[in-house]
Amino acid sequence: MVSCTDLGVKETDSFVITTESGEFLGVDAAGTLSSAYNEMNWQNTQENLYALNEATTDEQFIPTRGTDWGDNGVWRDLARHAWTGAHTFNYKAWNYLNANVYRANQILHPKTTKTAQQEAEAKFIRAYNMFWILDLWRQIPFREADQGPAVLPSVKSGQEAFDFIVADLTSALPNLPATAVGNIGAQNKASKASANYLLAKLYLNKHIYLGGDAQSADMDKVIGYVTAIEADGYKLQDGFFGIFGPSGDNETIFWANGQYEPRIWGSLHYNQGRETYNTGGGWNGFATTADFYAKFEGPADNNAPGAGQEERRGFVPANSLGVGFLVGTQGGPDGVVKARSGSPLVFTKDVPALTGQPDYTGVRLLKWHPGVKLNRGKDNEKDSATINMAGQGLNHLVLMRYADALLMKAEALFRKGDAGQGLILVNQLRVIRKATPLASLTADVVLDERARELYLEGWRRNDMVRFGKFNAKFAFVDNTDASRNIFPIPDNALGSNPNLKPTDGY
Amino acid sequence: MIRLYLTRYAILFLVLASSVAMAQQVVTGKVTSGDDGSAIPGVNIVEKGTSNGTVTDVDGSYKVTVGSGATLIFSFVGYVSQEIVVGTQSTISISLTPDVTALSEVVVIGYGEVNRRDATGAVASVKSEAFNRGIIASPEQLIQGKTAGVQITSSSGEPGAGVNLRIRGTSSVRGGNNPLFVVDGIPLSSDDTTPGGSDFGRGGSSAKNPLNFLNPNDIESIDILKDASATAIYGSRGANGVVIITTKGGKGKKQTLEYSSTVSVSQQAKYYDVLDANTFVSEWSKLNPGVNPSTINYGANTDWQKEINRTAVSQNHNFSYSNSYKTGNYRASVSYDDQVGIIKNSGLKRLTGRLNLNQNFLQDKLKFTAQTLFSRVNDQAAPITNTAGFEGDLIGSSIIYNPTIPATPTNYIGNSSNMYSTDIANPLSQLKYYKDGTETNRELINLSLGYDITKELNFKINTGFDRSHSLRASATSGLQSKIANVNGNGKAFMTDQKNANDLVEAFFNYNKKIGDNPLTLLLGYSYQSFDVKGRSANAANFGTQTNMDWMIQDLKDADKAVRDFIPQNWNQYEYDRTGFMRVYDLFSNPPAKTYYTSNLPFINPRGVTGTRYSYKDELQSFFARGNYNVGEKYFFTASVRADGSTRFGSNNKYGIFPSGAVKYRMSDESFVPEIFDELAVRVGYGITGNQSIGHNLYTTRQQWSTVGLNNDGSLSNTGTGPNDGAGLNTVTYGNPDLQWEQTGQLNIGVDYGFFGSRINGSIDFYNKNTTKLLMQVMSAQPAPTPFVWRNLDANVINSGIELTVNGVVADKKDFGLNLGFNVAYNKNKVKNYDGSPLPTGAINGQGLSNSYAQRIANNQSLFTYYVRNWTGFGADGLNTGGDEQQYVGKSAIPKVNAGFSLSLRVYKFDLAAYMYGQFGQYVYNNLANAYFTKGSIAGARNVTPDVLSTNESKANSPDVSTRFLEKGDFVRMQNLSVGYSTTLKDFFVNKVRLSVTGQNLFVITNYSGRDPEVNVDKSLDGIPSLGIDYTSYPRARTVSFSLNATF
Repeated sequence: MVSCTDLGVKETDSFVITTESGEFLGVDAAGTLSSAYNEMNWQNTQENLYALNEATTDEQFIPTRGTDWGDNGVWRDLARHAWTGAHTFNYKAWNYLNANVYRANQILHPKTTKTAQQEAEAKFIRAYNMFWILDLWRQIPFREADQGPAVLPSVKSGQEAFDFIVADLTSALPNLPATAVGNIGAQNKASKASANYLLAKLYLNKHIYLGGDAQSADMDKVIGYVTAIEADGYKLQDGFFGIFGPSGDNETIFWANGQYEPRIWGSLHYNQGRETYNTGGGWNGFATTADFYAKFEGPADNNAPGAGQEERRGFVPANSLGVGFLVGTQGGPDGVVKARSGSPLVFTKDVPALTGQPDYTGVRLLKWHPGVKLNRGKDNEKDSATINMAGQGLNHLVLMRYADALLMKAEALFRKGDAGQGLILVNQLRVIRKATPLASLTADVVLDERARELYLEGWRRNDMVRFGKFNAKFAFVDNTDASRNIFPIPDNALGSNPNLKPTDGY
Repeated sequence: MIRLYLTRYAILFLVLASSVAMAQQVVTGKVTSGDDGSAIPGVNIVEKGTSNGTVTDVDGSYKVTVGSGATLIFSFVGYVSQEIVVGTQSTISISLTPDVTALSEVVVIGYGEVNRRDATGAVASVKSEAFNRGIIASPEQLIQGKTAGVQITSSSGEPGAGVNLRIRGTSSVRGGNNPLFVVDGIPLSSDDTTPGGSDFGRGGSSAKNPLNFLNPNDIESIDILKDASATAIYGSRGANGVVIITTKGGKGKKQTLEYSSTVSVSQQAKYYDVLDANTFVSEWSKLNPGVNPSTINYGANTDWQKEINRTAVSQNHNFSYSNSYKTGNYRASVSYDDQVGIIKNSGLKRLTGRLNLNQNFLQDKLKFTAQTLFSRVNDQAAPITNTAGFEGDLIGSSIIYNPTIPATPTNYIGNSSNMYSTDIANPLSQLKYYKDGTETNRELINLSLGYDITKELNFKINTGFDRSHSLRASATSGLQSKIANVNGNGKAFMTDQKNANDLVEAFFNYNKKIGDNPLTLLLGYSYQSFDVKGRSANAANFGTQTNMDWMIQDLKDADKAVRDFIPQNWNQYEYDRTGFMRVYDLFSNPPAKTYYTSNLPFINPRGVTGTRYSYKDELQSFFARGNYNVGEKYFFTASVRADGSTRFGSNNKYGIFPSGAVKYRMSDESFVPEIFDELAVRVGYGITGNQSIGHNLYTTRQQWSTVGLNNDGSLSNTGTGPNDGAGLNTVTYGNPDLQWEQTGQLNIGVDYGFFGSRINGSIDFYNKNTTKLLMQVMSAQPAPTPFVWRNLDANVINSGIELTVNGVVADKKDFGLNLGFNVAYNKNKVKNYDGSPLPTGAINGQGLSNSYAQRIANNQSLFTYYVRNWTGFGADGLNTGGDEQQYVGKSAIPKVNAGFSLSLRVYKFDLAAYMYGQFGQYVYNNLANAYFTKGSIAGARNVTPDVLSTNESKANSPDVSTRFLEKGDFVRMQNLSVGYSTTLKDFFVNKVRLSVTGQNLFVITNYSGRDPEVNVDKSLDGIPSLGIDYTSYPRARTVSFSLNATF
């Protein structure tokens, strides 16, 4: 009998990029770059990378409140530093970051037709994702685009990994555009400034990744890269909370496609923002520690508008949703917001335990406000022109910002022994933020200034590790083992690739 | 019986008296039925030892020319065959005795049929007389509880809900665990023919049961091939068993018009006993001391479960006309079903038309068969989902919604902007502001032509066309309360999908006697293609429009306007409310994105997106089977099938699936006690495969990622640059080494019958070993997709015992009693798996994100529970027992399935009863986990009274734990039917039957939920779950009144 068919298939809704004989045909560079940029939007969730970087620190944690936020213990494990290689955010972050590295590899493969700029953008994307892999796990698996699932990725670590990322960025720099300050429409794509920022980050943390103390030469690199960012026109922006809205500003270097609803609602109480912004209200998740709140200037128990606090601590008005640190009695358009019990909602500074919490314990943080823009520099006014119901369409989740670059430069100066120059930079920032200039710079002061400026922006864990404060006792953390400074290679990643080494201490 | 004996003696006498044998002689006569004396058309009459023969005509008459010394064998399905020595008789009229035992029935085994006595494999057959009665949406329900080792679980009580059918346990670790369904010779595609629902913020829902298009009344028999020696003839699709559905023809009926009608009344079988308004308020107050209850007390006392539910009156009408004549027969039928759901706004309407035709030509040498079905099914669905979050879907919210709120579909108190204080979506609002309908047309046509080339050799061509076209459209109004992303916006969704499944088969059948021993050979070729094409469209920004038909029509108009505007080769488009459009082309090089700006002529500006999908798979097969028996004592069967599939790459396109079986019938041996009329031992082994994985997973492919729409109708991807808009994402990480999953199955069975086969049945032992498991495992990163399909180096072992006993207690003219019992024990284990355990069984609800309850792990049963070990509440009212998930030695797979049937006939009355049960499985009560806690009532969500009696703190977190894991053992009184049949002489109606049937009359169980027989789809990362109860459609208790009339 004769066969009717050779059982070949013709695809009608997809593009074959690797044939069944394993030949890689290349990808469409523009289409694949689009998805690589779009995939940055997974950072807008409160989970995964964001949770690993923030909900493990003294800045953010989620207590279990009655029937809410138990979430199979994922938040408690982070807050207690009790995570294991099976933690779901750990392995999802691993997957997301590595998948974007692979996307970049598809573009960088010789079979893919691309322009010099597209190649540079792909290198930036690869470097950005590899930076986080290095920072979180210290082992970077590597697979070329033409390697099929039967090939086990090789693993880069230490100097090799560091050099690989730096090489990508330095070779990308000449071909990246010098995106103008305030051009928000282009700042969700790679630019010279974003590559320089990432290089500064890498050299600032180099001694953490490779061991030893910070080297003067590396700190000079940090200073040089930040200076290059300044040369492109980036500078400090007057009006702190205005930066975290949908429009452009002087500071934003790179932001992620995707909407920042979780940044707005993750922390707010169920009954906050309901009348004006979103009938669903907040999610009542993230709280901050009393110690973190205490880092800011201002009266300890009063965060009303004009109570004498510094700008970055925000304020809580009597008749609308506050901004910054929400502590004490919360107001809304109908007067006092009610807790679930019906009594007025008063956020307390203390959270006695990680479980069994009522709905009102803990100070809340709100940096991306649903009713922005707040008028820049003016404490107590709200520009009602830009109200969006739930945060949808608000596409400005800041990932890299000049104030951070400035503080990196200050830290580099401090680390190479030039605390005086560093102090000048820190005070530049403090002045524009309407905080009292400082008299001297210490390691703790540098770290605290970063905390005050960069909370909710995903850098707290990285900063605490660099200053040796992460494997220490704070809040609900008892485990001071140095193994906590990096995350374990996910269990199922170890299972899928024996080239990865189990992380010490797990 | 007496008459039969007399006839036999008379014949014997005549034979003895005759001394003259003639070379050729013509015999005529008439065959009648032993029970009522009516003529039987279509009786097979064969001259023993030859292929010479004939069949009786409409009047039961026949004429045959036989040689000298001939013996005639008279056989007909459902009657005991008779052999009569012709001698010198020229007229032989006989009466056939109805067969009361199962052993003589014919079983369909794929590409043929065989007498049960000769069957070598484990095959169960259920004939239409034994089907479950009452209101039946899909064929599986007809045989629920009827056969050992076949576990049938409806995913819910919804009319037309998906059915989980497992034959001898679960062997694959993914979705492809359903058996192969073969309808009149056409293997159905495993693809869903109706699209799943759109997630409007409430969670996803499953597609409907794809077998709903069949009219249960048209089905003659359902045969289940259980062991590999039987299923291997279906090769790569046989690993989970094969269910063969045969529809009724006109054979044996003479100008018979039948009408049957059923009217059913259904009510919800069980409600959650939640608090009434007074208790609700007082208990809430206890937990919220010092707070004025007016914040949650709105004065009414509403039973929300009753508000969304109704007493459903359903009806079903069947007309059929059958006729048979000398050269053929036909049956035509029309049916109409209107199954009304017990939840408002849900139901299923079905219209079917069928014509089955058999026509013989050239002195019966050429046989033409046609089975044609046209059906139209309209499904209406209520907003019920599998994965509802804290707001609840319709079912969830109806249980927990504040009972003090008046029963109106509004969220506001009076006309003010003052909203009820609740996070939950109002159940009536969900009903009022949601519409979801699916219309499916399906045609299933089977045409075959068989020709007897010689007396021994027959050639047959079989073609099948299975076409379905399904349109699902749904809309939700912006007035719908408390559903994220819908409130104030309104959304509409549609999917239009066409499936085409074409079959061509050609095979030879060769029958030859070697001495006295018959040999049957089958050799064939089969080609089948599966083509799926569809497109879907979404629209948002309908404001507070409440006319959902208008919304759906508006979406369709908008979608059409865009499609008319853009080029033909579009794959996706997105159109925002300002007229800005981005179109993603398919197969331009490079793949292009094009921008347009145009205000298309549809009125209200809103955002619309569209996506197209299409793929085609093929299966090409060669198969052979041989049956041989020696002296009706030793039976041998061997088969082999080679399947080639487009689902696998060139290295492994073909899989070969052999099987063999031996049967030793020892009833006639001297060492077997006299008491046995039948005793046979069967041993069979075979290898079968499974290919139910997605399309082309062996090349790496990219697709445009899905276009997105914001709630306000703007596009989620802004910008007009080359890097803006949706990108190309890799959707498969091609694994060219993918190959067939294999299941080797050993079956040892014993068939027995004693006391004149009044007690008969079988015992089967089996061991199924599934290897090269096809499943998606985590990719070694960096990789383009988080998961990659592989053949996992592990084994899933299912082993078990099945026992069937049928007893004919009495078979008198006016009194008959039959009892049937089946029981099956199955043990399931994963072995040799060294990968990371795979979580599944996602648990949803407030504070339960990232929660799951089951794991697939080595040395555990599939769907073993992995939860915290809960040991009660501490003095502080918080959980004790630790915060670590662990294996608790309990699985969702039932260890024992059992069924019991009774049928009783007294004069003109009959009674049939069926019960079945499942034992040893555990159900995870996700519903109680999400809803029935102190924290719930403290948050003004309703609970059951048992929550109040614990010392749980309202601040306690209901983590996934043994607290919500319950024994699922149950016994269900599924079917009880009482009927009265009578024959009317000289009246235009010949036979009338009236009956009353109760379905799901009671369930005996300790399970605290509505029903332990539940399976909400809670799969995680493509790993299926089992036995998790959540907000599923409740089961009904139904009483049906039926009339059958034969004219």
